Amino acid sequence: MGEVKKHDTPLLDELKSGPWPSFVDDIYNYAEKHKKQAGFDILGQMELSYKNKETHWKHGGIVGVFGYGGGVIGRYSDQQEKFPAIWAFHTVRVNQPAAKWYHTSALRKLCDLWDHRGSGIMNFHGSTGDIILLGTVTEQLEYIFYDLTHQLKMDLGGSGSNLRTPECCVGMSRCEWSCIDTQDIIYELTMQFQDELHRPAFPYKFKIKVSGCPNDCVAAIARADFSIIGTWRDDIKIDQEAVRAYVGGELKPNAGAHSDRDWGPFDIKKEVIDLCPTKCMFWDEGQKKLYINNRECNRCMHCINVMPEALRPGDDRGATILMGAKAPILEGAQLSTVIVPFMKLEPPYDNLKNLIYKVWDYWMENGKNRERLGETIQRIGLNRFIVDVLGLKPIPQHVREPRSNPYIFWKEEEVEGGWTRDVAEFRRRHPA
Amino acid sequence: MDKEALKQKILEVFQKKASSGGKSKIYLKDLQREIPEANPRDIKNAANELVKEGKLEYFSTGSTVMYGLPGVGMGLEAGMDKPEE
Ligand code: HEM
Ligand code: HEM
Ligand code: SF4
Ligand code: SF4
Repeated sequence: MGEVKKHDTPLLDELKSGPWPSFVDDIYNYAEKHKKQAGFDILGQMELSYKNKETHWKHGGIVGVFGYGGGVIGRYSDQQEKFPAIWAFHTVRVNQPAAKWYHTSALRKLCDLWDHRGSGIMNFHGSTGDIILLGTVTEQLEYIFYDLTHQLKMDLGGSGSNLRTPECCVGMSRCEWSCIDTQDIIYELTMQFQDELHRPAFPYKFKIKVSGCPNDCVAAIARADFSIIGTWRDDIKIDQEAVRAYVGGELKPNAGAHSDRDWGPFDIKKEVIDLCPTKCMFWDEGQKKLYINNRECNRCMHCINVMPEALRPGDDRGATILMGAKAPILEGAQLSTVIVPFMKLEPPYDNLKNLIYKVWDYWMENGKNRERLGETIQRIGLNRFIVDVLGLKPIPQHVREPRSNPYIFWKEEEVEGGWTRDVAEFRRRHPA
Repeated sequence: MDKEALKQKILEVFQKKASSGGKSKIYLKDLQREIPEANPRDIKNAANELVKEGKLEYFSTGSTVMYGLPGVGMGLEAGMDKPEE
């Protein structure tokens, strides 16, 4: 390898002086150690962007490797003479394993691959969930893909108008609250939807994310067009003995998460009962007993988070299906909205897959270019989406609040006598 | 419509657009609009097969994907201007 050329980066160098580890140090150390011109050039170009306050990246048309319509995002420098090592700096998305578990040997192999065929810069993980390999040139793409699939048994993730790589929380692998097997669901859906993942099929991107409980650690409700969030429909399980231990100070609230400061003795009324959003809890000071009116509980997880040893999700478990979250592009940002309040989820998850196919069939045909599912729902109305598109019955759980809620309206065929019925005649027989 | 006929029809849409100076890259949606008699999923599958055969190519800026005839309009490595929408 020849001599490498370092650029002056006074603005970036300031970032090294802060209290946190700096990517500037990281990239310089790596580039010096491995004699990688790309590392120096990327910082050189970034310095220029800081100075001019504008980007020097251009979009390319490249999409993937042979036969794939996604997984690679083409980027080119518009300063190719100054920074020749990053004339192309494509991003490769790699489908992460469910819940992001790795053997260290797999990570080492992946690093070796990227030292050899890329810039050496990678990101665990991008917002989509994928492993992001940052910076390579076009000639390397097919080799990278071959090594990934043959040596590492890894695959490219989704990009463009494809299904994006499905993602889940750690679920049952580490978390006792998981009401569904998030990893198994993600694996099943990923295998089932290989074609949609690798070949563009949709008007725009489509994301599926699964959280095991309403704490929603992957933020499915905020980020996924199709959000699957574990829940239960029977009663919260209460261990009254443990509740008393929290009240008596023998157990630390929130499993000790806030114990770095003295917050005073635990106050069950102030910290749990009064914060229950549905006001459905009662602590009987005399009896030393906790009561929950489970019919009113909306499964927010607050009380369970505070007293994990005393309270647990019920045993009749499944998931709530919500749809339509997105970042602000056409309309403003929005959260997913409840479509199916409770669905049992057991392998092979046919009920779930069929619902997804139903949504896709409609959206593929009726969605506009670059219109996310949430925008399609907004355009046609939640009521029409639930009733006409999905063939579901409107129910109270669909109603978010009076006034801002898109009300369910009657259709003519649902009204006895239709719109043309003689109301005066009807009222003669049935005074209002 | 059988698959080969559909593929032929898809290529015709592209050739017509290209020869009349129209868009060289088009969205799947627009392709579906041009062939209303076929099922959108069949069109998607046929278009993807045409890519495998080298008769069409994908073109993307990252957030969405378009299809085009290889060698017509902006090349995959152009990376210069924003593609036409
Ligand atoms: C037994 C009789 C009635 C009951 C139980 C009743 C109940 C309600 C309720 C629960 C609301 C919704 C409040 C909210 O948005 O949170 C409401 C709104 C309203 N009511 Fe009544 N109401 C009654 C009679 C009437 C009458 C006789 C009128 C007018 C002549 C009326 C006019 C309205 C109007 C204008 C609104 C506001 C609608 C909106 O949100 O835009 N109500 N009523
Ligand atoms: C000069 C005349 C009027 C003025 C200045 C006036 C002003 C207002 C204001 C400031 C509000 C509250 C809006 C809000 O909640 O943000 C209101 C609400 C309302 N007004 Fe009037 N109003 C007038 C005449 C009337 C008349 C003649 C009627 C009925 C015949 C009426 C029916 C209502 C109703 C039903 C609401 C509640 C709407 C809702 O909250 O959805 N108003 N009005
Ligand atoms: S979403 Fe719930 S089940 Fe998943 S990791 Fe978070 S707390 Fe645990
Ligand atoms: S889960 Fe939330 S709503 Fe249900 S009882 Fe606990 S605090 Fe109240």
